Amino acid sequence: MHIPDAFIPMGQALIYWIIALIFIALALRWARRSMVEEKVPLVAVLAAGIFAIQALNIPIPWGTSGHMVGAALAAIVLGSPYAGIFVLTLVLLVQGVIFGDGGITVMGANIINMGVVGGFVGYYGYTAVMGVAKNSYAAAFIAGWASLFISAILCAVELAIAGTFPLDLGLTFMGGYHAVIGLIEGGITAVALYLIASARPDILERPAGVTA
Amino acid sequence: MEKNQFIMIGIAVALVIAVAAPFLASGNPDGLESAFFSIHGAKDFQGDELDEDAASAAEEKVVAITGNDFAFEAPLPDYSIAGMDKPGEVLAIVVGTLLMLVLVYGVARVTARPDN
Repeated sequence: MHIPDAFIPMGQALIYWIIALIFIALALRWARRSMVEEKVPLVAVLAAGIFAIQALNIPIPWGTSGHMVGAALAAIVLGSPYAGIFVLTLVLLVQGVIFGDGGITVMGANIINMGVVGGFVGYYGYTAVMGVAKNSYAAAFIAGWASLFISAILCAVELAIAGTFPLDLGLTFMGGYHAVIGLIEGGITAVALYLIASARPDILERPAGVTA
Repeated sequence: MEKNQFIMIGIAVALVIAVAAPFLASGNPDGLESAFFSIHGAKDFQGDELDEDAASAAEEKVVAITGNDFAFEAPLPDYSIAGMDKPGEVLAIVVGTLLMLVLVYGVARVTARPDN
């Protein structure tokens, strides 16, 4: 879902950068207040793992592929939507600057779509489903799916404003493909949460598990 | 599990994914590219076939629409190293994974809340 430079006019891209910078500042404030030094290696490993798994495009039907984004996982494991923004901003920076994956002028839009939306929908989706279902892994799956799907919907709206897609077709096609790619996001988020919770239950901001 | 052991296993998992990715990853367009090509007539929404000529035409057309012709040469474009084929892709993604580890460790270290 990495938007390339050509897809958004420079002026609009600048506005998305300004919005993204506000969220990056909030993410840095979160780090200063809530990310204890002890968590630093975990944050680094999560970011490295998310970078690697983003390179693994999984085929879906219709001649298309998709990969995990990972903001929801970071937000759930580290207990804040801002953790998703913190990690995804650095992932997108390296992807754009070193690997040409995702544009430079449009990086702000990519940070908003994947980091901000992924982090907030992932974190609050997880908390909301946990409140009802009391099952961490079902909650992680649903929150992961929703984070990716809503990122894609926002992306379609931005590209409609940009003139790259018409809105109706953009919503249908982006929504259609990403409803399926979201299953990859949800599945890996749930499995990764399970593995982390099994190995180091104490590392999670809130305990994971299934309660009746 | 010991904390250090947990971190080392995490790094190992990331590196295994990085090494495997070039062999396992699908070369199909991703959801955004697929939507873009479908809307601009280079493929059917549910189709497997991508019309390369129509895809190139769509990419030129969108630059005309948005006027954003910003371009720069990424050092390792598309997770590859020029002239190195698959081993280059493995190396590129491994380098990226290690770079993430070091960069995020550094940034997190500087921005984290001090323990005392």
